[in-house]
Amino acid sequence: MKARNLVLLAIAVLMMLVWTFPVLWGLVTSLKTEKDVLAYPPSVIFEPTLRNYADVFRGSQSIVPNLISSVIVSGLTTLLTMILAIPAAYALSRLDLPFRKGAGFYVLATQMLPPVGLVIPYFLILRRIGWTDTYQGLVLVYLTFALPFAIWLLVSYFEEIPREMEEAALLDRAGRWRALWHVILPQAKGGIAVTVIFVFLNSWNEFLFAVVLGGNNVRPVTVAMFNFISLEQTQWARLAAAAMAGMAPVIILGLMAQKHIVKGLTVGAVKGGGRR
Amino acid sequence: MSCAIRGGERRFALALFLPALLLLVITTALPLIYLVWTSFLRIDLSMPWLGGFAGLDNYQKLGNDPRFWNSLGLTLIYTGTTVVLQVVLGLSLALLVMQVKRGQAMLRIAAILPIVLAPVVAGLFWRSLVLAPDFGILDFITRWLGLGSYNWLGEPRLALASVIAIHTWQWTPFAFLVLLASLAALPPDIYEAARLDRANAWQRFWHITLPMLRPAIVIVVILRMVTALSAFAAIFAATGGGPGSATEILNLYAYRLSFTELSVGYGAAVATVLLAVTLAVAFLLFSFRRKK
Repeated sequence: MKARNLVLLAIAVLMMLVWTFPVLWGLVTSLKTEKDVLAYPPSVIFEPTLRNYADVFRGSQSIVPNLISSVIVSGLTTLLTMILAIPAAYALSRLDLPFRKGAGFYVLATQMLPPVGLVIPYFLILRRIGWTDTYQGLVLVYLTFALPFAIWLLVSYFEEIPREMEEAALLDRAGRWRALWHVILPQAKGGIAVTVIFVFLNSWNEFLFAVVLGGNNVRPVTVAMFNFISLEQTQWARLAAAAMAGMAPVIILGLMAQKHIVKGLTVGAVKGGGRR
Repeated sequence: MSCAIRGGERRFALALFLPALLLLVITTALPLIYLVWTSFLRIDLSMPWLGGFAGLDNYQKLGNDPRFWNSLGLTLIYTGTTVVLQVVLGLSLALLVMQVKRGQAMLRIAAILPIVLAPVVAGLFWRSLVLAPDFGILDFITRWLGLGSYNWLGEPRLALASVIAIHTWQWTPFAFLVLLASLAALPPDIYEAARLDRANAWQRFWHITLPMLRPAIVIVVILRMVTALSAFAAIFAATGGGPGSATEILNLYAYRLSFTELSVGYGAAVATVLLAVTLAVAFLLFSFRRKK
């Protein structure tokens, strides 16, 4: 029995090591000088420096504008998504919506579209109307994955609310809007918070749309990583610092929403599909 | 409920649902129609004066394009191996962790780290910190074990294995977390009964656990396939589709055609094929799921 427990423990520790290693090693690398990064064998004992973070936050290679871009794009996407998704999810989960099945299936199917299939037409369309490298252009495209995802996640939360709650509110002649506003929304607060976190996280991590449809004005942080890579030379330590700075928000959000993450990831799975 | 109230509810439901639906139709259906239309055009951004209607030219070109068949094959290999690896590894790890009494919470937190990481960062981290020939950790380990040094991302077969490993690393935690949650939700008394019947561990797994987990496994397979079919950023960051076209799955090929080689019309044809493959896979999975 003892040996068995030891084996289990060893496997568990190995798993944790494998899953956390790239991020932890990225953190270590971000504290090294470029010379220490290239040392062989890889050094564990070295004099840590914050130089890379200073370079990444100030001066010619600053990624601060990119972080701001990411905040604006992800923030606007999240806001618009929630404004549209909350009523839609409520109608889909709770009301007598005409063509409900078909409507639900359409929302689900849009979640499966390969992004490459969308980025080509959007490149041509946005170029024609002069919206490439603009916030409104990128946010519009981000809605294609954020909106269906949010609707399905919210539906699963709305369905958990006991029906008696809103029926009581409706009998009081409180009106449907007030039932939604005063009964459903407070009950679904937790689910709405989780949805906000996931939509923000997915928008923050997006890369393909950002690299094709962004530009010098709108350049989210995921694209800015490539500032540190060039044909002549890659600045690995600065790249690691930029990656840590760029990923800190999503890592913190992810850990905050840790308990809800399985549900968020299997969103719509109860009914059949999903993405990311 | 009376008719008037029902009618009122329907109108109210439509008013709530239509804004989102209209926006979705405008932002997804219209661009997809435009994509299919573009695939019948000749659009060459380096030679814009040559543009025009091309009929089925782009699709005829696909048939004789070895790079296209290569990328279609790679897409199937990439999707197939990553999904199988994720489900097998995720399920084995979940079964193992169920036996671990303490520390499950720590494992769950560790599992979340790869999932929340942007795929492009996952690709860059692996490329620089793990797989780089001179200072990457994997190379250090293989040298230390006396297996020698390899150009993990520079040799075609190794590069394909590497991008499959990156994807598997990033998304196995997903399969693990979902399957662990479903395992934990299985009723314990059924195992009690099986134990009384003297069923051994393997029989219990094969006849009880696996059938009861089937819905969860099907969900994981569907979700993982969709993610694998839309994979882009991690490969782009790690190999860019190379060396040559060794890791150029359909997503990468369509991207390179449209935005590196600037033949957007032909790129649109490749993307249309990808769209058809995705829809076919989704349709197959859904009808499979309904039958069960």
